[in-house]
Order: sequence, then C-alpha cells, then structure tokens
Amino acid sequence: MIRDHSGRLPLAPALLLLGALLAVAALASIGSGAYDLALMDILKVVAGREASDPVAAMVVLEVRLPRFLLGFLVGAVLGVSGAILQGLFRNPLADPGLIGVSAGASLAAIAVIVLGGTALGGWVTLAGQWALPLAAFAGGSGTVILAWRIASRAGQTAVATLLLAGIAINAVAGAATGLLTFYASDEELRSLTFWTMGSLGHAAWDDLVLGAPFMILALMAAPWLARPLDAFLLGESVVGHLGYRTATVKKVAILVVGLGVGAAVAVSGLIGFVGLVVPHLVRQLLGASHRVVLPVSALMGGTLLVAADAIARVVVAPAELPIGLMMSLIGGPFFLGLLMRRKVM
Amino acid sequence: MRLRWLLFILIGLSLASGSVFAEPSRLVTADGAITEIVYRLGQESRLVGVDTTSGYPEQTAELPKVGYLRALPFEGVLALKPDMLITSEQAAPARNLERLARAGVRVAQLSSRWTAEAALERILSVGELLGATEEARALVAGVEADIRRILQNTGNRDYQPRILFILAAGNHSVMLAGSDTAANALVELIGAENAAQGIKGYKPANREAILASRPDAVVIAESTPGQFDIAGWPEVERLEAWQSGHRLVADSMFLLGFGPRLPEAMAALNDALPGQREIAANDP
Repeated sequence: MIRDHSGRLPLAPALLLLGALLAVAALASIGSGAYDLALMDILKVVAGREASDPVAAMVVLEVRLPRFLLGFLVGAVLGVSGAILQGLFRNPLADPGLIGVSAGASLAAIAVIVLGGTALGGWVTLAGQWALPLAAFAGGSGTVILAWRIASRAGQTAVATLLLAGIAINAVAGAATGLLTFYASDEELRSLTFWTMGSLGHAAWDDLVLGAPFMILALMAAPWLARPLDAFLLGESVVGHLGYRTATVKKVAILVVGLGVGAAVAVSGLIGFVGLVVPHLVRQLLGASHRVVLPVSALMGGTLLVAADAIARVVVAPAELPIGLMMSLIGGPFFLGLLMRRKVM
Repeated sequence: MRLRWLLFILIGLSLASGSVFAEPSRLVTADGAITEIVYRLGQESRLVGVDTTSGYPEQTAELPKVGYLRALPFEGVLALKPDMLITSEQAAPARNLERLARAGVRVAQLSSRWTAEAALERILSVGELLGATEEARALVAGVEADIRRILQNTGNRDYQPRILFILAAGNHSVMLAGSDTAANALVELIGAENAAQGIKGYKPANREAILASRPDAVVIAESTPGQFDIAGWPEVERLEAWQSGHRLVADSMFLLGFGPRLPEAMAALNDALPGQREIAANDP
C-alpha cells in the first residue's frame, strides 16, 4: 500500500477506496438475499420498469432498499458517535455503550415489551406501533442527560465523572433489565432476546421515517465538533485557550451522541463493535485529526454494517443471523488482530 | 396496524375454508406441532420448508429450515416460493407475515392454546387448509379417543398427584415450569398438580425449591437429547420420586407441542406417576 512519511495513507485515495467499497457493499445489499432475483429484474425495478418476477419490486423497494439505507445510517451514526466519544474522553475504550446510551435505550425498550400489557398499557395504547422505538429513544437521551447532570457542577462538566456516572448508570440499567427479564413471560423473553441481539431484518420505510431525521441531524452536526475535538486531544484546558467554549462543545457532543445512538438503538436494537472498532481503524489508517476521523468513521461505519448485514442474511439462508452477532463475530477478531499488529510495530 | 393485520388472517382463513383457492402445492410450516400434523395427514410431499421448532418426524431434517418461528425472515420464506405458510400465533415479526401475505403467500395463523380441544381444532384447521378434511377428521377421532381413554385412567386415582416439571432447553440452562406454561397445562390436563408452586413461567431452578417440592413424579423436558445431566443436579436425584423410578425424561417438543402426539405425551406423564397413593406415602 502507498503510505506517506508518517506511515499513513493519503486521504484522497483512501476516500476513493472507501467510496468504492461502499458501492460494492450497496450492490451486495440490494443484489443479494435469500430470494433469488435476476440482475435484470433488479435493474428494471430500480429504473422503475415492470420486472418479470411480480414480487421483485416488493423485495427490492420495500425490503432491501430501506434495509440498506437503515443499515448505512445506523452504522454511520455508531461510527461517528464512537469517534466523538473517544475524542471527548481522550479514551480509546469509549464507545456509545459506555455513557449509558445503549443501556438506557434498551432498558426502555425491554420495559415496553415486558410491561406493555400491564403497567405501561396506557403508553402502548397511546403510542401504538411507535411505543417501542419512541421509548428507546427517550430512554437513550434520558440516560445521557442524567449522566450529564450528575457530572456537572457549577457550570463545569468533569469528563472523568461523566465516564464513572455512565458506568454506574450502565450497571443500574443492566440490573433493571435483568429484573424485567426475570419477570418476563416465556414469550416476551424470546422476543427480547432477538431484540438485544440487534436486527435489521424487519427494516421498512416506517423505521426510516422515525429514525432517519434524528440520525441525519446527528451526522450533520458532527463536523462542527471536529476542530474542538482536535483541541481536546491536547488537553481540556487547551480547548478554552484556543477560543472554543468547552461547555458548549461537550454539550453538543453529548447531544449528538444521545440523539443519534438513541434513534439507532430504537430502530435496530443493540449492535455492538461498530462504535469501538471503526474510529480506531480510521485513526490507524489516516491519522488522528477529527476533520478526517469523523466523516471517514461515518462512511466506514455505514459501509461495514451494510456489508455485515449482506453477509448475515445469506450465510444461513433461508434463515438469517442477527446482525449484532455477525458484527461482533467479524469485529472481535479483527480488532484483536489490529492490537497484535500494533504491538509488533 | 395490528387490526389490519388481523383482518388479513381472517380474510385468508375465510377464503381458505371457502376453498376459493386451489390447495397449496408448496407449503411452509412454522411450528413443530403444525408440521407434525402435516405429516400425520400424509401431506408432507407438499412441504418445501419448515422452521427450527419442527424436528419431528426425522424426515423434517431434509427440508430447508427458515429459522425460528419468532423471527421469520421475509426473503427466506419467500425464497422457497411457497403458496401457503401455516404457522401459529407465536409467529413473529408481524410485519414479515404481512409482507408475505402481500407478496401472494396465503398466511394462516392458528391458535396455540394449550388445551386438548385446541390441539384437535388445529388438526382440523390444517386439514381444511390442505383440502384433507377427511384425513383430518379420522386423525381427530383417533386422537380424541386416545385422550378420552387416558382421562378415564387418570379419573380413577385415589389421590391428587403432584408433578415437578423441569425444562432443560437452549442456553437457558435448567428451569422449573410454573403456572402459565405449556408444561403446567399438560400437568393439569392429566388431573395432576404442579409441584412448583408460586412460580410463573419458566424460572431458573432453585435447588432448595426442588427439594421442598416433594413431588410424586419428576418430568424433565429436553430440547436436545441428553441435555439434562442428572450428575449436576443431586437435589433432583435425592427426590424420592426420582429414586423410586417415578421419572420421565423426554423431548420438549413431544411433551409441550400439543400436537397430534398429545395423547402419547399425556400417557407418558401418567405412566410416570405412582399408581396408588400407598407407594408415594412411603416417602420419608
């Protein structure tokens, strides 16, 4: 591979390569699935013409296309959120799960599944089919705000306290989830097991309508954080000296992550590893500047999730693997390999 | 959304019973009990796929598996180009079932209540859907007679037997079956009482609770043969019922499916019980 004097890849070819990979993943995502479709039929459907297979239009437009878009958005949001949190906490272990977003969102969702018929019956009647995603979103944002409040004293937010608060909130939310699991009926238990493994298998335009605005908003706000986050790398006190308002930067960063990850968990369940692995990979390949890391993490996160999903749905066809499982299966060994290589270097 | 979906099923079922459509030639079933019914009705040549709960009879192993009935994939089922999908109320996600219906697959969802009546109704429904009503009636008559004979036996007892029902399934390790379970329904169906009192659903087995339950018989349902290892459960081994041979270890779909093998399951449970109270009264 071509590397410059710092051992990094130059940005332009890297972006080109990633763009090409995304195109391949997109083709695989639209073109492959358990249901066999002729390439001609797919092209006809995309061009808006009548295909020879009567269900081709439905498979491509109602199932594969929203699934591809949702997968890309979720992956992009998780990748960016991981990069933001790792920058903010100056900690390579930070990922969206760490400050309690995922735990809060999943606790709320599981509460709706288990208590939907009893204590939360009113909410379910009120919100209808939106009950679960809206609750997950509120749970995710709520926990972030809670962690934020705990860590804020006299207008200052201590990042270390935020991290600790996140860990404690994770533990409490995890215990509450466990308690709900214990009281869940056999049927509820099975539906929440599949939810916690993460899935894009039910993706439809409905999910995009609900989740996409929040996720796109988060993605659009992220670039604003790039320069301040670079300043964070030099230490929190430097941020103020460079002319950024530290409190505002932190607030925006937390809001972007809460908004994006809350929405992502709401529509696709728990998908791990993207937020942790992708920013690392980007930094290894392209350097640590957030003006590069943030957008490339989004692109790579989206591409990776779309690719993993394309594999997950054909590898055991006609059945399907949960995408969260697939992600950890690919991401885990890959990450370990990365670590081992770094040791040698 | 849910109402519209229910409407789909109802329309599907009413059309099916009016036999407006031709009988299905490519059938997918997603529920172990329903698959069993299809085989018992001699209609298995139509099957092109089953779900992972369909492991009986053994020939099902040769069919493509579309995954777990609670997570049915849309494309996966559609890829088998079925003209009908018969499944139970437990099937999910609803959105994929609705999509299948829109893609031209007739989707029928049958009740999965745990009663003898529901088990018989399921046989009739499957028979009607497949245009095998005669075979279904004959099967129902046989199953119903078997059930009645067993119930006569269980009615002759001079005591109220108590059964401890243990489920060893999946990665949930070993669990006790409480109220609101198929296991509880089976126990009560043969006139016995669940020895695990105060438990709702399947809950992780508490070792002391096992000792305290002092059942007349122990029943263990395994999702795969040999899954329950008695060596790891000395409490179960200590039970008088286990030591005196009043025990049954069997496949969980056989015991809990409420399919055409329901009479056999009832008989197996009943045979595990001591015949007369005197035997059990020897308990220390």
